[in-house]
Amino acid sequence: MITAAIIDDEQQSTDRILTLLAPYTDKIKTVCFNTAEKAVQGIDALHPDIVFLDVHLHDKTGFDVLEAITYLDFSLIFVTAYEQYAIKAFKFSAIDYLLKPIESDDFRNALQKAIEKVKQNQLGERIRVLLSNLSAENTNKKISIPSKEGYSFLNISDITRCDADVNYTHIFTANGIKYTVSKPLKHFEGLLTGHGFFRIHNSHLINLNYVKSYAKSGIVTLSDNTKMVVSVRKREAFVKACESL
Amino acid sequence: MKGGLVVFLLLICFSANTQELLKSPDSLAVLIRSMPAEDTATINLRNQYVKQALFANPADSSLMEFTQQTLDTAEKIGYQKGVLHAYERLALISQYSFSNPYKALDYYHKALSVAENNPGLITYKWGIKGGIATIYYEQEEFHNALRSFKEIIRRNKNLELTATANIANVYGAVENIDSAIYFYRKALQHPQTEENPTFKANLYSNLSLMYGKSENAELAVSCAEKSLALINTHGIEFVRPTAYANTSMAYLKAGDLTKAEFYGRESLKLSELQGNLFLQKSAWGTLADVYAAKNDFQNALQAHIRYSALKDSLNNQNRRVAINRKQMEFDFEKERTLTQAEIARQVLIKKATLLIGIGLLIISVLAFIFYKRRRDMLEQKKEAEFNALVSDTELKALRAQMNPHFFFNSLNSIGDYIAKNDNQSAQDYLIKFAKLMRAVLENSEFREIPLAEELKFIELYLQVETKRLPGKFSYKINVEDGLETENILVPPLLLQPFIENSIWHGFKEKENRGNIVIDFKRKDHMLLCSVDDDGQGGKNQTTGTGKKSLGIVITENRIQILNKQKNASGKLQIMQKLNNTGTRVEVSLPLQTAF
Repeated sequence: MITAAIIDDEQQSTDRILTLLAPYTDKIKTVCFNTAEKAVQGIDALHPDIVFLDVHLHDKTGFDVLEAITYLDFSLIFVTAYEQYAIKAFKFSAIDYLLKPIESDDFRNALQKAIEKVKQNQLGERIRVLLSNLSAENTNKKISIPSKEGYSFLNISDITRCDADVNYTHIFTANGIKYTVSKPLKHFEGLLTGHGFFRIHNSHLINLNYVKSYAKSGIVTLSDNTKMVVSVRKREAFVKACESL
Repeated sequence: MKGGLVVFLLLICFSANTQELLKSPDSLAVLIRSMPAEDTATINLRNQYVKQALFANPADSSLMEFTQQTLDTAEKIGYQKGVLHAYERLALISQYSFSNPYKALDYYHKALSVAENNPGLITYKWGIKGGIATIYYEQEEFHNALRSFKEIIRRNKNLELTATANIANVYGAVENIDSAIYFYRKALQHPQTEENPTFKANLYSNLSLMYGKSENAELAVSCAEKSLALINTHGIEFVRPTAYANTSMAYLKAGDLTKAEFYGRESLKLSELQGNLFLQKSAWGTLADVYAAKNDFQNALQAHIRYSALKDSLNNQNRRVAINRKQMEFDFEKERTLTQAEIARQVLIKKATLLIGIGLLIISVLAFIFYKRRRDMLEQKKEAEFNALVSDTELKALRAQMNPHFFFNSLNSIGDYIAKNDNQSAQDYLIKFAKLMRAVLENSEFREIPLAEELKFIELYLQVETKRLPGKFSYKINVEDGLETENILVPPLLLQPFIENSIWHGFKEKENRGNIVIDFKRKDHMLLCSVDDDGQGGKNQTTGTGKKSLGIVITENRIQILNKQKNASGKLQIMQKLNNTGTRVEVSLPLQTAF
């Protein structure tokens, strides 16, 4: 039997998830908390397998719950209405999320993934990535890179560039390791722009901190001597971005 | 007393260099021939030779030509000191060998101008002035002469001796005998005198004359004899005729008429040999006195006639006037030259000032042009930035205006849907609508979104509307092959108002199923989007009621702003099909790509 904890301060939201979980009552038993404090106690006491966690909990947030709990061996699914900042953080840390109103197809997919990976590896680490991305301090932020085996956690500052390969993205780090992720470059552009990254080309997203030189001809050289062309349309903005760095 | 003669004590700085003095003119001539012609040393030597040769033999007329050659050479090689000395020599030769004070004055002035134009030669100025002063003296312009000599004493110590001697000469000439004697004695006591027997001989000769005039015959004879002794010892031929004339005078005073006549005649002979008219005049004057004393009146008369003739020819008023005129001419010429130089300088300064002024003006103008250009550019940039800001704000405002417009329409359709259908369908509808809202909110944050996003949105919107009006219409979205939907950028929610119009107005009263065809294709540098329906929305779209729908106005404005920002010619066209059989909306946009 799988235990699913639903943490939401609005009864209707909880009911919606309960309705969506109704077809699984033979496999999943549910437990609901409507405050952050109750949630922390409940999770640590009951050790649920799946947690549906709302971002907005009265004057607290789901993140406060994550910071407080000690038990971290469950599948986490965030639920949010329109917290764009949170959605970005979920993407950074590769944590699943559902958008309100919850679409039943989306719910089914998320639940399926959660059941398959009930014992998800490295949740604690991914939560750390999540929380670090949410914090105001801009130091040493990390990103979770999902792979077949599990997750890799990279310092954003260690990433030199991301190259597009159709729907895959190759991520290169300063120590020369290449990671391939089954997400389009656009996904990483969305995440990393604002962290010193600049999309110089349809298929190149580079970390401006690793730019060694730039020739007027539009060729940028990174510190590992990789040479790349900056798109004509992006050159002006690229130079501006480099200057403002 | 008509006789007696004061030897002009030449205002040349006699060199103290004994070696130089020891060289005879002949040995110098030999030395000169052995030296290269165009050389400063040769020119110096030639000038020195002329000086000595002149003293040795004042009648040597070849000196003039020789000196002229020296001058030519010095001028040719630009040796100013040589030029100056050559002029000085020419002046001396003119004065003493040719008795031509005009010429002498001319040469002195030339020498003076050389000295004044060359800072290194300025010390020679006083020597030249002295030469000019002796000409004043010779021309009996005693006042001028005295003034000049006194000035020379003040200005130049080297010329003190000669100037002192000449002051004595002047006093002698104006019959201020005591003063003359005083200055001669002073000159004789001067340390330079001992080094210069010629000068000494001169001084004694002249002093003898003064003593004679002061009726001190004994001292006069004594001095004359001292002079003659020096002349004989050193062979000072230059002084000899004058000294003889003075000696003759001294003996005349002493009453030794035989000796007086002898020296007088010798003096005349020598001066005739030299061709020196002054000396001849003096000698004739002396002889006239001697003959008179001897009561040889016939000879005395003859001598006197000769004396007077010479005196007249040498010293007449016309000549003085001529000299003065000459002097004036020189002064005028000098002044004119100076004025011309000053004018030239002023002109140069004027020109330079003008040039600098023009230069500054050009620089100022250029600077101003550059400044203006830069300012204009900055202003333009600022204006462009401001415009962009304004447009951006406008866009945001437009979006804000559009969103509620769309939302309320959608909410209306949700209400409509709920009223007609069951709860499960309402739930599904709501979720679609939530997605649509999310897409609107997210896309509204950007000025441009990839075409792919816009297509997703249109699809979502049409799905929602299909749910609302099942069976009322069908739609088709055509995207030209090869259109890079991820790369092409379009303003968000651009076509939505027209699709909305088609659905809400075009199909509302339509009996059969309506069709909407949405088309995206590229034409040159433009992206052509069209919404084509077969509804009856004509009167609602545009001209029918005369009032444009809010969506159309907003879209027109957005395209206008886009045109301004991208300097493009995007446009919106709404076409009604014949007999109200449909509407076609065409939007052409500048083709923009992310990369």
